[in-house]
Amino acid sequence: MADHTTLPHRFFLSISLLSILTVSQPDLTKELVSLRSSSESGVIRLSDDTVSKFITSVSTPRPYSLIIFFNSVELNSNPLQEFRREFAFVSASFIANNNNRSDVANKVFFCEIDESSDSEAFGLFGIQFLPQICLVDPLMENLQDKTGRMEEEDVDGTAESVVEFIESRTNLTVGPLHRPPLLSKTQISVIVALIAISTPFLIKKVLKGETVLHNSRVWLFCTVLVYFFSVSGTMHNIIKGMPMFVRDHQDSNKLVFFYKGENFQLGAEGLSVGLLYNVVGLLLAYVTNALVRVRSVSGQRVFMMLAMVVSLLAVKKVVYLNSWKTGYEIQTYWPSSWH
Amino acid sequence: MAAKKASPDLVNSSFSFKSLKLKTKQQELLLRVSILGLVYVLAFIARLFSVLRYESMIHEFDPYFNYRTTLFLTEKGFYEFWNWFDSESWYPLGRIIGGTLYPGLMVTAALIYWTLRFLRFFVHIREVCVLTAPFFASNTTLVAYFFGKEIWDTGAGLVAAALIAICPGYISRSVAGSYDNEAVAIFALLLTFYLFVKAVKTGSLSWALGSAFGYFYMVSAWGGYVFIINLVPLYVLVLLITGRYSMRLYVAYNCMYILGMLLAMQIRFVGFQHVQSGEHMAAMGVFLLMQVFYFLDWVKHQLNDTKLFQTFLRITVTSAILVGGIALGVGTASGYISPWTGRFYSLLDPTYAKDHIPIIASVSEHQPTAWSSFMFDYHILLFLFPAGLYFCFKRLSDATIFIVMYGLTSLYFAGVMVRLILVATPAVCLISAIAVSATVKNLTSLLRTKQKVPQTGSTKGVGSSKSSSKVTLDQSQPFHKNGAIALLVGVFYLLSRYAIHCTWVTSEAYSSPSIVLAARGAHGNRIIFDDYREAYYWLRQNTPTDAKVMSWWDYGYQITAMGNRTVIVDNNTWNNTHIATVGRAMSSYEDEAYDIMRSLDVNYVLVVFGGVTGYSSDDINKFLWMVRIGGGVYPVIKEPDYLVNGEFRVDKGASPKMLNCLMYKLCYYRFGELVTEYGKPTGYDRARGVEIGNKDIKLEHLEEAYTTSNWIVRIYRVKPPTNRL
Repeated sequence: MADHTTLPHRFFLSISLLSILTVSQPDLTKELVSLRSSSESGVIRLSDDTVSKFITSVSTPRPYSLIIFFNSVELNSNPLQEFRREFAFVSASFIANNNNRSDVANKVFFCEIDESSDSEAFGLFGIQFLPQICLVDPLMENLQDKTGRMEEEDVDGTAESVVEFIESRTNLTVGPLHRPPLLSKTQISVIVALIAISTPFLIKKVLKGETVLHNSRVWLFCTVLVYFFSVSGTMHNIIKGMPMFVRDHQDSNKLVFFYKGENFQLGAEGLSVGLLYNVVGLLLAYVTNALVRVRSVSGQRVFMMLAMVVSLLAVKKVVYLNSWKTGYEIQTYWPSSWH
Repeated sequence: MAAKKASPDLVNSSFSFKSLKLKTKQQELLLRVSILGLVYVLAFIARLFSVLRYESMIHEFDPYFNYRTTLFLTEKGFYEFWNWFDSESWYPLGRIIGGTLYPGLMVTAALIYWTLRFLRFFVHIREVCVLTAPFFASNTTLVAYFFGKEIWDTGAGLVAAALIAICPGYISRSVAGSYDNEAVAIFALLLTFYLFVKAVKTGSLSWALGSAFGYFYMVSAWGGYVFIINLVPLYVLVLLITGRYSMRLYVAYNCMYILGMLLAMQIRFVGFQHVQSGEHMAAMGVFLLMQVFYFLDWVKHQLNDTKLFQTFLRITVTSAILVGGIALGVGTASGYISPWTGRFYSLLDPTYAKDHIPIIASVSEHQPTAWSSFMFDYHILLFLFPAGLYFCFKRLSDATIFIVMYGLTSLYFAGVMVRLILVATPAVCLISAIAVSATVKNLTSLLRTKQKVPQTGSTKGVGSSKSSSKVTLDQSQPFHKNGAIALLVGVFYLLSRYAIHCTWVTSEAYSSPSIVLAARGAHGNRIIFDDYREAYYWLRQNTPTDAKVMSWWDYGYQITAMGNRTVIVDNNTWNNTHIATVGRAMSSYEDEAYDIMRSLDVNYVLVVFGGVTGYSSDDINKFLWMVRIGGGVYPVIKEPDYLVNGEFRVDKGASPKMLNCLMYKLCYYRFGELVTEYGKPTGYDRARGVEIGNKDIKLEHLEEAYTTSNWIVRIYRVKPPTNRL
């Protein structure tokens, strides 16, 4: 902890030293600025060469700090890439908030190193796990030093955590985060236009009584859907935030879809069982009500056989799953004289 | 066994006789009545497992409060009951009982009791209370029959009655001894719906009046009436949207709403909420909308010019919506219309309770439902339900629209909260009954037509037009007959499985009174733990009559009803701060807790402990909720203090705060000296399967007063303060 408290002091010291030293290395800052302006949302992609150019071969104190996000595209991890986007928001917000204060804006640069293309630079920092963010302050010489790292428990994948990290280590303020809106302006205008155009047609249809609301098939479909989601325990999954499936503890390649235990369930198991209910129910309805109108006799036969087999299997499966899940063994009570 | 036989039998007989078209109508009537009579008896006896297994006693927690109030009502009379201020609970606040309960259940039981006494049957009021739930469950089967008859036909009615008689979803709340509001409420709910559907179908004022009175009974019995007062307007709205507005609907809804509202306001617990709270606003809005519809209809009748009417329509509709919106906005802003309550809100936005109201989230029956719970309570009805939906849509009428809406909304709510499976049960039974009835009817008529074909030589059988058209297709094919037989056998097999399942579930899962616990011994023999009653009778006999007992709120009702002593908090969780104070005392160190207990005048502390017997729903397992609820009001209590790496432990690795808090000390006092299981060290907690972490517990301000024979209930006396010289 002591290291952390001294960091801002080190940073101040370096700033004061910079005023003397910047003269000797002005080109690097300029180069970084130009790199930043050419990159998307101001995150500079560092390669093996540029790492040595901007960090290792520059004598301390450097005239700038670098905040490096360690990435790996090859890992193909969604949370990691989401965090990378959040990082980009921070970078873009920082630049936008300090646009006309070049003394602040040019002191910190947001960078990224990708493991898949620049593993050498990656090794230089001794990164063992991802995601990882590192602040290379002007005085830092030993890149393996852990004091510049964001602490493991603070890395929660949000832009706010990055902002907190930067503000606690550098005495700079990032300012408000500018996240892009959920729908862009053009999208919104297109949607509004579509609604505006379709409204008269809809009103006309409603008055005529020809909408989907008047079609009983649509209602039937909706009711079956509601039923499906109710009995498959979707609300349980939403409220408890259950995942669709989990990975096996012993074998990470194996996926677990069914949870043993009465009061909990995983997402996928509920949905699959709900599907079985609906299959049997609707087949029964179809066989007794609609199949009689089919003209072809053999078609009727085949379908009926199929429906019976499918229903039998589905019911068996559900009963089996239920007894497995709950551990109950249902038995009949016979009169005691029958034994 | 009775359950097993009934459902296939009655389906079989009712249909075969009906479609045979016996000329003797009386014969059919006799059959129908006798089947209904059997179902009525079946519904009653299926719920008596608990009486046979244990004894005639009241179950669980809330029923003890209901029992206590019923006793008071029969002893002191209705007016005393109505004005009862109870100083024995929520000490020192007290509770106005008459104004904070739904009196329907107590009044019903008291009426039955008085009737029996009038007829010279001298029974104890407890027996009446124990058997109220089965009795009303039997009545529900009758209502289900009439309802099924109304929405489909008599066959569906009979099947519905049989299904609901043994459906575990309903039995769970209506076994003998579960003397709770739901016992009569489901009957009232279904009755109201039935009468309303009947009123809409006939447009008769008398049926509407009946449904208003049904609604009144429901309001007097259970807070779940809010479901009716929202479902009915929603139904009316759907009918309006789909262009099914009629004079019948107008009469039925207006009469039911106005009268029902006036009657409901007579219940003190509801009172002006019925016109003021946000939960009831939908009904009022739809009521006004109906008037607008009627007015428009009238104007249309008066004006012959359609163009003029169109303009008029536009202006009226716009202004009506505008006025309604402004009224609602002003009402809400001025505080005249109260916003939705937490419970209601948590139904619409299921994640609400988890974040905002720990006291709702803490109750196990408020948990969301997993699919296995649905399977447990409905079994094959789940397969039949989609088929029933399909049939309802094939024969769409005002009545089938109602049952579909009832089924779907209640199933959604059942998904949010386990206990609401109960509300959905009648709808599920009815819709499934339609599926069974329609299927069996189609199949049997198909079979019979086939048999007649060679005899008559014509295809104009007695079956429905569909099946006769089918006959024209494949007269010479006996294959379909086999198919139909196979399907029938399948359906009957499923139904018999349902009966077996229901009997088993009722016997094994839903008939335990939870006040007397049963377990299997090492030799397969039954062991009964009667510790609760032992402790409550000890309190009654050995403590001063004005003693105050502190316990977690779960046991409040039982202590007042059986121990006859004053409690600090009970199951009527109306004052969260008070409960949090108790939660704080339980999770503090002994000297801090002592100050809290002194301030509440507590004389005895009661804890429930399952470490010796392996009883898992004891206070240690509920402890985190005490911490959470306490911490919700008093931030000095912090949940992480009681956890180790997010894990709740009681062994050596437990957090120091946990090992020294009052609850831990009271539960495990002298437990360290005890050997609970062969081959295990002393102080081995069988409920959690660990050796406890603090075996040397010294109490400073409390002393052990009584521990029951199996250690399930432990009572401590709070010492008076030492003299300060």
